Amino acid sequence: MADQDFYRILGVPSTASQEEIQRAYRRLARENHPDVNRDPAAEDRFKDISEAYSVLSDPQTRRRYDAFGPDFRQVPEDADPETWRRARAGAGAGARSRAGAGARAGAGQGGRTSFGFGGGDDIDLDDLLGGLFGGRGGWGPVPGADQSAEIELALEDAYHGGRRTVTIGSGKTQRTLEVTIPPGVTDGQRIRLAGQGGRGSDGAQAGDLYLVARIAPHRIFRLDGRDIHVELRLAPWEAALGTSVAVPTPDGEAKVTVPAGTSSGRRLRLRGRGMPRPRGTPGDLYAEARIMVPSKLSDPERELFEQLAATSDFDPRRRR
Amino acid sequence: MTYAVVRAPRLDLEEFAAAAGLHPELVSRLVALGIIDAARDSAGRLWFSRSQLGDVARVQRLRAGFALNYAATGLVIDLLDRIAVLEAAMRRRARLGGH
Repeated sequence: MADQDFYRILGVPSTASQEEIQRAYRRLARENHPDVNRDPAAEDRFKDISEAYSVLSDPQTRRRYDAFGPDFRQVPEDADPETWRRARAGAGAGARSRAGAGARAGAGQGGRTSFGFGGGDDIDLDDLLGGLFGGRGGWGPVPGADQSAEIELALEDAYHGGRRTVTIGSGKTQRTLEVTIPPGVTDGQRIRLAGQGGRGSDGAQAGDLYLVARIAPHRIFRLDGRDIHVELRLAPWEAALGTSVAVPTPDGEAKVTVPAGTSSGRRLRLRGRGMPRPRGTPGDLYAEARIMVPSKLSDPERELFEQLAATSDFDPRRRR
Repeated sequence: MTYAVVRAPRLDLEEFAAAAGLHPELVSRLVALGIIDAARDSAGRLWFSRSQLGDVARVQRLRAGFALNYAATGLVIDLLDRIAVLEAAMRRRARLGGH
């Protein structure tokens, strides 16, 4: 059930002046208009804000809302608040469950339906609600706005693709979608879900929903476009003599040949082992050498290193 | 020889107005205000593409949501489009530069 406290929806106290109400409404409407804010939840907020304002901006309906609460449209014009309260306490919750439908029907009744070309300074309520709750007076059905939402994917999921359940929106229109992630999605790429965006009025077609992929930082892999970087730790003798080691890739381990004389920072490329590209060349995987030494040497190790130090004339700080 | 029937890639004023649920005069006015683009042929007729129906829907939503006049709606749309371009550029930069 949606929040029926129109003051809370507009974020104003129930003692707010008409001017404060209008100010709060205009600010919130600017923030949440479906063409300004593409968050799927914004559309619902915008509708709630508009409905709250439609009631509170008119001193007469506001008075009735204050007296009878959100069900005020079902109360006869001449009802006495005290009598009504007592009658309602007896009737129980039955009336409340019909309030949603009643409020919506009420919003569409009566009032002005002017749609001039000029557009004055004052907000025309029918203008407002016309676009949202079924266009009248000049407008036909209006298609819904496009929306966009982010989904975070683990690097492995982006690599392999697959199905994913996504929950969109909030409150009454929260919905769960089953989405197929194509293999090789990169950070910031948009997945278009046709017809899953903002609803159109009067049965007009809905907008599209764009899911923007965000790839979560990974423990060992770093992404650069479609290229994947991974650290390749080597012992000093492996780096000096050359070796063949296994490196992790999102698709399992791969063998990489480390040439003799590899220093830290050297990048060994595994062509085509980066992120796949649908119908195209995949990225590459770069294994970056990083030479590690034992933090504590055993006696024989120390002896051998000392021997090496005495024999070698290698100077790593000499500039060529 | 047979040919497949295909939908005309462009719509004339009446077709476009009908598809958008608007009066043709209102559509002409939106074109005159530069809010929607239309091609004009040598006979002076206006032609639209189907993809522009989304643009018209946005004009309708913005006008209704903010009680804007059409000139102001045009300005808002220009600004929203510019923001969209800037945001796309920022996303691209973050993707290339941010590690």
